[in-house]
Amino acid sequence: MSEPGRTAIELTVNGETRRGEVEPRMTLADFLREELRLTGTHVGCEDGFCGACTVHLDGSSVRSCLLYAVQAAGREVHTVESLAGPDGELHPLQEAFRRNHGLQCGFCTPGMLMSALELAQSRERDGAAEPPDEAEIRTAIAGNICRCTGYQGIVDAIAEALRD
Amino acid sequence: MARLDAARLLRGQGHYIADIERVGMLHACFVRSPHAHARLGAVDGGAALALEGVVAVLAAADFPHRPLLDSVRIEGLRKTPQPALASERVRFQGEPVAVVLASSRARAEDGAELVRVEYEPLAPVLDAEAAAAGAGPDLFEGGNLLYRGEIVAGDVEGAFAAADHVVSARYHGNRYAAVPMEARGCVAEHDPGSGELTLWCSTQGPHQLRRRRSQTVGLPESHIRVIAPDVGGAFGQKIPAHAEEVAIALAARAVGRPVRWIEDRLENLLAAPHAKEQLIETELALAADGTFLGLRARILGDAGAYSHNSTSALIEPYLSAGLMPGVYAVRDYSCEILAAVTNKSPVAPYRGVGWTAGHTARELLIEKAARHLGVDPAALRRRNMVDAFPYESCTGMLYDSGSYVASLDRALAEIGYEELHRDRGAPAVGEPAVGVGVSPYVEPTGWGSDGALQSRWSFASHDSVRIEIDPSGAVTAAVGTPSQGQGHETMLAQIVADGLGVELDRVRVVSGDTAGTPISTAGTRASRTAVVVGGALALAAEELRAKLERIAAYLLGAEPEDVRIEAGRVAVAGDPDREATLREVAEAAFYDPALRARMPDPSLSVSRFHDPPASYANGCVVAMVEVDVETGAVTLRRLLSVEDCGTVVNPALVDGQVRGALVQGVGGALLEQVRYGEDGALLSGDLRRYKLPKATDVPAIELHHECSPSPFTVNGMKGVGESGAIAAPAAVAAAVADAVAHLGVEIESLPIDTGRIVAAAAGEGS
Amino acid sequence: MKSAPFTYHAPTAVEEAAALLAAHGERARVLAGGQSLVPLMHRRIERPEHLVDLNRIVGLDRLEADAEGLRIGATVRQRQVEGDAAVAARWPLLVEAIAEVAHPAIRNRGTVVGSLCNADPSAELPSAALALGGTIVAAGPDGERQIPLARFFAGPGETALARSELALELRLPAPAPRTGSAWLELARRGGDLPVAGVAAVVGLDSGGRCERVRLACANAAPVPLDCGREAEALLGAAVDEEGAAAVGSAVAAAADPVDDYQGSAAERRRVLAVLVRRALLRAAARAEGRS
Repeated sequence: MSEPGRTAIELTVNGETRRGEVEPRMTLADFLREELRLTGTHVGCEDGFCGACTVHLDGSSVRSCLLYAVQAAGREVHTVESLAGPDGELHPLQEAFRRNHGLQCGFCTPGMLMSALELAQSRERDGAAEPPDEAEIRTAIAGNICRCTGYQGIVDAIAEALRD
Repeated sequence: MARLDAARLLRGQGHYIADIERVGMLHACFVRSPHAHARLGAVDGGAALALEGVVAVLAAADFPHRPLLDSVRIEGLRKTPQPALASERVRFQGEPVAVVLASSRARAEDGAELVRVEYEPLAPVLDAEAAAAGAGPDLFEGGNLLYRGEIVAGDVEGAFAAADHVVSARYHGNRYAAVPMEARGCVAEHDPGSGELTLWCSTQGPHQLRRRRSQTVGLPESHIRVIAPDVGGAFGQKIPAHAEEVAIALAARAVGRPVRWIEDRLENLLAAPHAKEQLIETELALAADGTFLGLRARILGDAGAYSHNSTSALIEPYLSAGLMPGVYAVRDYSCEILAAVTNKSPVAPYRGVGWTAGHTARELLIEKAARHLGVDPAALRRRNMVDAFPYESCTGMLYDSGSYVASLDRALAEIGYEELHRDRGAPAVGEPAVGVGVSPYVEPTGWGSDGALQSRWSFASHDSVRIEIDPSGAVTAAVGTPSQGQGHETMLAQIVADGLGVELDRVRVVSGDTAGTPISTAGTRASRTAVVVGGALALAAEELRAKLERIAAYLLGAEPEDVRIEAGRVAVAGDPDREATLREVAEAAFYDPALRARMPDPSLSVSRFHDPPASYANGCVVAMVEVDVETGAVTLRRLLSVEDCGTVVNPALVDGQVRGALVQGVGGALLEQVRYGEDGALLSGDLRRYKLPKATDVPAIELHHECSPSPFTVNGMKGVGESGAIAAPAAVAAAVADAVAHLGVEIESLPIDTGRIVAAAAGEGS
Repeated sequence: MKSAPFTYHAPTAVEEAAALLAAHGERARVLAGGQSLVPLMHRRIERPEHLVDLNRIVGLDRLEADAEGLRIGATVRQRQVEGDAAVAARWPLLVEAIAEVAHPAIRNRGTVVGSLCNADPSAELPSAALALGGTIVAAGPDGERQIPLARFFAGPGETALARSELALELRLPAPAPRTGSAWLELARRGGDLPVAGVAAVVGLDSGGRCERVRLACANAAPVPLDCGREAEALLGAAVDEEGAAAVGSAVAAAADPVDDYQGSAAERRRVLAVLVRRALLRAAARAEGRS
């Protein structure tokens, strides 16, 4: 048990062990951004509706605004910063977003990528033979709101990345 | 061609307002009025200040300032300035009353809960029609009607007297929220030594903001630096100077520490500007053959609680009235324009400002007329379209060029209109009702001062730009219009690279910092960046290229007219051995004493002012829907747009703009509505209740292009980016109206009132 | 939108969690998936002083199907149930309803039991689980007890659980042969809470006559609405359009829906009548192996 004061936590973020002292009420999103300065994870609503803050927890996509950082203690977190290579080389999904104009303002983009990544990973796990159709892609990202693109470039990008 | 800055944003390396940290920075939370309308008494921050981590609680009395007011003058419009923090009276739920500064946002929220504010509630005014009619209580001295005026063109009485048919309609355009994914926010830091105030702000117009700030904060513009970092969407909401941003600047100065305010989603839906709500009555006079003889309208704008600067009460009804004739050759037109204040969050620009509601009202009127006459609605439109250019509309807009008929016909052909629009009657049992809706549009774009004036909105809307080449041969173009995701850097870099004859990756476009960029009086808005800023850069590049040619001529021992610059290589025509790199030319310009002796000014810096004439884009949106009439579920099956924005610089960016606007339009047609309760409390304060379109709510968008270059602009460019927001709601509404016509249901408001459809399908009244 | 301060507890045993709830009573809230609770905490509509996180309690994450039925532990994620082959084969209604709950990232955290305890009358899972004849197993200071869902929901956000009680699992009985089911809802957007939703379970005898029927409706009343009585009219005959429509009308008349941002009460009644009719027909068709 912990008082409303600060609690020490340790977790793995993008493959590295990270420690912090947090108030129990601090969300994982705020912890990543404010304490670890991983500002690629964006906060768009704090209600779980917009999807901008989507990260992976133990391999599954979650809203980092609806998870307190203390809940992530001992767990493994991946953020958008984990996608590109060490020299900045884009992940195939990122490259497809770039080629297909799958972003405009860039604010929803990290969350969108993490949802797309889950689709890619779950299909790989299930050994899916055929590339996903447009409806499957749209359903996979329906929890991520984009106000700029009309979704078309994003859908095209994911389709291309999962086809190749 | 992909965007130059895409990789950075994809890696999560963007820098948005919430990513900015300053040493000693405090976090702000506003205490906001829970009442829609109340007299304001004492504000007591004592209990909040007792909390550890709370540094200050500031109310209006703590920092005297001038309220927000702009310089746009419209005769007969009464202005009602808004203070940074309310004093004496609050006029909408969510109006900022005090600001708490603390060590974290969470702690500031703890403090805000403890601030005691005395309110004496007043009856809220929520119905614009009643407010316009004088129903009280008055929000301001002088009553709630801020403006009543009219446009009269031709002989409208005569036209109606001569009509074979008169069709009338009412339309209540919904109150929207722009909802950029990144809400508003700013960081303010005051340097007591230099007296300089630095504001990082999620804004569309840094120079505009600096000017407003100077007026309200009481510092000269020279002492204010505004920096727009990456902006996570704006759509017009980040044009106005906002009360909260003024308060944060004043608060930072008051406490002598940097202060950051990041708006949360509740605040954004509650207190950021709303948009677009209008009540419109229309009347169309037609000849027996379907020719439009005259048009009458009455437009009432629901301004919300304050009217100042771009957040003016008139911005919606005034722009709506000016474009009401649209693509149609109507000469006899009259319109009564009214604007009233209500106890709601104030209205500000949002993509397609003014035009969305007016366009939708007109197109629904035409649908109704077609049904009344028993003619095809697309044919009725075609018969009345403007088809010779330039064309001066009866409201004084000079349509420069266009493909009105061709875009309509192209759209009809691509959607397979003939097949879709056969008289279908009622659908078979268990089958959805199908409908198709056509919405041809003209869109004022590329607002320079002339374009603004043609929309009867007199304000300075010009840009200056600067292109510089440094001694390494790298090119920097500085502009006053930051991007909020449009990809302007890429499009503008293309224009500069083409103009100079250099490679694209040699050009860097900088914007967003008033300390390093020339003035844009209007900022990024009104589909103006390509035409005004792009045009300015093309002209500046031409001038700079001529200078490079003179310098190269000296270096290569040739005549300037024989020098060719291509892909960053400088050579003499017909003599490929005599060539130089751009770097060598640039070095000579800076460091060659002999050159300086020959050329009094060899500097590689060119500034250019540009304020181009108005230009008008056009096109046509078509929607095809299926309606499950028993449940009211509307499924958008197809969405197609033919866009004509003249010469296109970057097709991918244009398509992105068109698609994004279309989907925002679909949201307005089917989902989006700001709602208030009878007590003036907001009922749409989260994204569950304020419904934005998701990826599953829209089909793959079908885009087609026509190209009518403007005869008036540099390279024939026109603006792009708002057409879908203007025209898609009418297309979807007309499609639904078509689908449910057999039930006798009319569309008189958006979003679609499914309750009416369900009631009609059940054979009952709603 | 930052939560008010609270003390965080992460018990590792049920007894420990129950003791915390008993000690803190009204001042404590249970955290499982948190997908409904945490947003309310950010808005300070919910402001517990103590948050009791069940996620580190061993054994609450068990999902087990056997001859008796299905047991879903308190921390089993919706996504896990959705992807379980045994559940898909025997309780397809549950999978159909879960697929309509929000979006993958929410279902990756959100729990089935948590959704029931949240008792939102507009949500999918309370009505679906009610139609499937579910029972909640709860633990409290006096040990365990079983609460049939028919007696579990007390009002919006209200359940039969005492503040000191903890829901451990949901049990669903094994389906009888020749049973078909259907979840149908009207939502303004995919993933939204439904305007109205219907769970229908129809069992047929060897002659194709309706032998058993269960019907529950979301967003039809302050609690998930058990429409078993209205559906009884179908017993003893084949489920046809006319009979299903009559049940739909009876449900619409019995319903007490809200007027809210998604629609008026009148609109909801009309939609309920349609959805009930369609869901019963679909469930019956599935029971016959058509569909």
